[in-house]
Amino acid sequence: MQGFDRQAAVRFENVEKSFGDVKVLRNFDLEVQPGEFVVLLGASGSGKTTALRILSGLEKPSGGQVYIDEENVTDVLPKYRDISMVFQSYALYPHKTVADNISFPLKVRGMAKSDMDAATLSAAKQVQIEDLLARYPRELSGGQRQRVALARAIIRQPSVFLMDEPLSNLDAKLRGHMRAQLKHMQKSMGITTIYVTHDQIEAMTLAHRVAILEKGVLQQLATPAEIYNNPANLFVAQFIGSPPMNVVHGSLNGGQFTTNGVAIQTSVTGQAVKAIMGVRPEDCSIASSTEGTLSGEIFTNELIGDHALVTVDWGNDQISVKAPKDFAGEQGDKVGVIIHRDSLFVFDESNGQRMR
Amino acid sequence: MSKTSYRFQKSQRTLMQQMFEAPAIGKMSPMAKILAYTLLGVWSFFVLFPIYWVVITSFKDMTTVNQGPFYIPFIDFQPTLEAWRSQFNEDPFCTVSAIGRQLWLLVYNSAVFVVSPVVALNPMEPQICKIYLAFTNSFVISIFSTGLCVLVGSMAAYALARIQYAPRFGNIMIFVLLLIIVIFATTYVGAPWWASSSVGLALFFFLLRALRGYFKMSLKNGDILFWIISQRILPPIVVVIPIYVMFQAVGMLDTHLALILLYAVANMPIVVWLMYDFFTNLPIELEESAQLDGATRLRVFWEIVLPLTRPGLAATTLLTLVLCWNEYLFAVFLATVKVQTMPIMVAAKNTGEKGILWWEMCAIIVVMIIPVIIMAILLTRFISKGVLMGAVKG
Amino acid sequence: MPSNTTSRQPTFISAGVTQRNRLGEWVDRHSGTFFIAPCATLILIFAIFPTIYSIFFAVSRVRFTGDGLKFRYVGLRNFSKQFFGSSEVHFLGRTDPVSIFGYTIFVIIVVALLVWLWRSQKHTTWVGMIGRTISAAMAIFLSWILCASFLSGNAIGTLYTTLFYVIIGCTLQFVIGTGLAFLCSQPISGKNFFRVVFFIPLMITPLGVGYAMRMVADVTKGPFEPLLGFLGLSEWIWSVDAWSARFVMMVGDSWQWIPFIFICMLAALENIPGDHVEAAQVDGASSPQIFREIIWPQVLPVAATVLLIRMIEAFKIVDLPNIMTGGGPGTATESMTLQSMYIWRANDMGSSAAIAYLLLILTVVVCASFFNYVVLGQVKKAGA
Repeated sequence: MQGFDRQAAVRFENVEKSFGDVKVLRNFDLEVQPGEFVVLLGASGSGKTTALRILSGLEKPSGGQVYIDEENVTDVLPKYRDISMVFQSYALYPHKTVADNISFPLKVRGMAKSDMDAATLSAAKQVQIEDLLARYPRELSGGQRQRVALARAIIRQPSVFLMDEPLSNLDAKLRGHMRAQLKHMQKSMGITTIYVTHDQIEAMTLAHRVAILEKGVLQQLATPAEIYNNPANLFVAQFIGSPPMNVVHGSLNGGQFTTNGVAIQTSVTGQAVKAIMGVRPEDCSIASSTEGTLSGEIFTNELIGDHALVTVDWGNDQISVKAPKDFAGEQGDKVGVIIHRDSLFVFDESNGQRMR
Repeated sequence: MSKTSYRFQKSQRTLMQQMFEAPAIGKMSPMAKILAYTLLGVWSFFVLFPIYWVVITSFKDMTTVNQGPFYIPFIDFQPTLEAWRSQFNEDPFCTVSAIGRQLWLLVYNSAVFVVSPVVALNPMEPQICKIYLAFTNSFVISIFSTGLCVLVGSMAAYALARIQYAPRFGNIMIFVLLLIIVIFATTYVGAPWWASSSVGLALFFFLLRALRGYFKMSLKNGDILFWIISQRILPPIVVVIPIYVMFQAVGMLDTHLALILLYAVANMPIVVWLMYDFFTNLPIELEESAQLDGATRLRVFWEIVLPLTRPGLAATTLLTLVLCWNEYLFAVFLATVKVQTMPIMVAAKNTGEKGILWWEMCAIIVVMIIPVIIMAILLTRFISKGVLMGAVKG
Repeated sequence: MPSNTTSRQPTFISAGVTQRNRLGEWVDRHSGTFFIAPCATLILIFAIFPTIYSIFFAVSRVRFTGDGLKFRYVGLRNFSKQFFGSSEVHFLGRTDPVSIFGYTIFVIIVVALLVWLWRSQKHTTWVGMIGRTISAAMAIFLSWILCASFLSGNAIGTLYTTLFYVIIGCTLQFVIGTGLAFLCSQPISGKNFFRVVFFIPLMITPLGVGYAMRMVADVTKGPFEPLLGFLGLSEWIWSVDAWSARFVMMVGDSWQWIPFIFICMLAALENIPGDHVEAAQVDGASSPQIFREIIWPQVLPVAATVLLIRMIEAFKIVDLPNIMTGGGPGTATESMTLQSMYIWRANDMGSSAAIAYLLLILTVVVCASFFNYVVLGQVKKAGA
């Protein structure tokens, strides 16, 4: 089953969805290349699951078209779209054995039993559950159930693979393990995958490209590196990255960002009476209060393990800095923060857009 | 499976598919819709037609009833209020003052009953049109028995949900044995019932103390719950005769209190079953926190638990009300004149030299079923919110 | 903590220990007893005690005398009267002559039951075996009566009339009720309307239902008179023929009780996680396939429970036969409860109690058997 020969391209064209008066998805455009792993990332209510369900055919869009391999499938029933879906709750049929669960898609198509059994065994082997085939879902652990759901999805060798937050019901340790498994599996099978999650770490590690959604609007569609290093707006900048990016309020004038009386040189040009400076904690460093770009009192000093996270008060804002793990500053000490000029971003406060 | 055979067959749907296959998820195919609505419509007619027939018959008179079926008022036949009038007006006692007197009578008679061991007073005789008498009797009995049933039942259900009981099997056997002996003594040997029961009770407590520690096996909460719920399997006919004798011995035969107690017991298993389910679904932390704050169990029950289960409580109350209102068997055996409930009154119309006066009977039936129809409509609101269904799953 | 910061400790209001309310404490400690005492007492007085007392009625000849009741012990005569004596035809029906057909069916059933007993011996405890033997004994007895009476072309008695109402009636109600529930669980409009309308018959006083059905089924004055005339049946009176009377009774009973099945099954169908159906749809299953493979197996436990509850209630049927036919023609539509009631009216309290007890035994054995073999079997399979 390695190496599928069918990889489909997926295209959303101006898709919109409203439930009553609430617009859940607006002007959603997305193109997915064959074999690509695209992650729809966003908070709950951002419209990411709705987009997935529209692609699967479980919901009908209020406007726009959906294409799979250039065929317009907007009105086509799910079973004819040649897609597979892994649900957040796995949706395993409790009264069927693992083997019956996995082979169900083939059974409804009337496949011969011997072929079905061969395919079931092959799919089970791919996710390493071949010795659980006679058990019932209630006897399995969370990770095992998830793999059964995966096996059921791949047994049909579909053109497109959809996943709705499949890892969110697992505990943290298992999640990391399954993430690696998923990535490996997708790479070796090469199947076009659309994956929905609210966890930015999953998005960053798994995706070829990430589509960030907020309140139904696509914020940015780019590779993980691009999103991390070049966020398109303030929302993306704050959503990605752990610990989150610092925000400092001020104003931008020409090449200078002024905040609380301190002027910082930047390569961003433009004017904004209310601007926000964003800088990641790892791009700042702690120094003495005279050396830093800014200086303030330490709010807390938390030892993370391999580094210390120092939070410094700055006016109404707080700046977190990744300091060496032996940094011994105490709450209330005055320190300086050095901000490297090339690693800061400036956003217009009125619309959150990145200023360049 | 060839690569293209299953894909995208649906850009053009064949006629057969358009007729028989759902156009989208969450919708039905045209054929399925036709079939569904037809069947549902047929059944709705089947459900509503008898009710409709009863209602229009109550507006007919002797000729229109006996001369073959007439279906539609004002078109087929002229509706009259004769049946209704004869129920309320021919009997000269159905006036407003009579209604007031009836209410006073209920209060007075209850007081008489309460003080009867001490002072012997004569209860008042009802002098009011039959239908109003039956209606108030049904009304009063239903309300009080429902209140008693729900109160006692939910207390028991709450206790079973939160407290661990362990009655010893041996003690229960002793109790049953003594009960049999007491009854034997009363029936065959002829001892007066109060003597044998007091002796039996005394013996029971004595044996309880004396044999303490000998019995190891005990029943759990689940068993007690099963016992209570399995009372529903008991056909009422089995207990009616002894209860009749029992009430006769105490002189309580034609009283409201007798029926109130009986109906409460008859419906208690259902209340316990439903309320148990609601209580086990409440998070226990709320009650634990209240207990830490110093509340007694009774206060926790009354002020915290019951308000939280309000929808379930309301649904259970409605259901019990309907069951008490509809109860017939116990009333037939135990109620004769004064405590006639509506079903009894309806059944009493069945006698008579002229045969059944269908139009009058329908009028009474309409009065009898209007309250339950209202309660049923209210109940469906609760059921559609899924309030009662957790119990069925359990 | 740095000493220069003025730390403000919260000042505790000295609550002290609340006044000890000894009586309240004692009540609270025994709250377990107090909570369950009223319920247990009421059930003891009005259910347990009468049940035991009733045994004494059943084994005695009871007479009303000047000062109360007189009991005379007669052993099992009230019971044997039903099986061998004067009430045999009334209770059991005619059991002779037994036809060949009757004999063959009976032998087949007995053999099947014995095989079942033998096979279950291997995997049940001895307590279970006792239960199974009781169930098998009851089944053998009931099938003998069935083969000797109905299958041999003879008349049946109140025992089988009751069983007819229970078994045939419950099956019919279950099929129709589940079908309606399935229809109502589809994406149709007006669901709430149907829900309310379908629910109402359950709540209407059974007495009212009885009279309503009697009027509707009246062949001379009722609404179906023209239809019957059109079909050429204008001379047919359903209440004269035993089986048509029973059938009409069952229709009336079903009218009232199908809503119960409907409501419970509708709730069960709506409780199936939407995820499962959607996953099946994405996987390509058609609606019948989804129903057969996904929905139906998951509602089976609830279905079995609902059927059990309905059967328990069905054994007690009395209002409808009393009103619609008065037990007639003859005693054809009498259920056992009704028979007991009529005997009581004839002042033979002993026989009345005996029939009541026979009904109790029948109900308990049949329902317990159904519960153990069907309901528990389904629940175990679904792995609750």
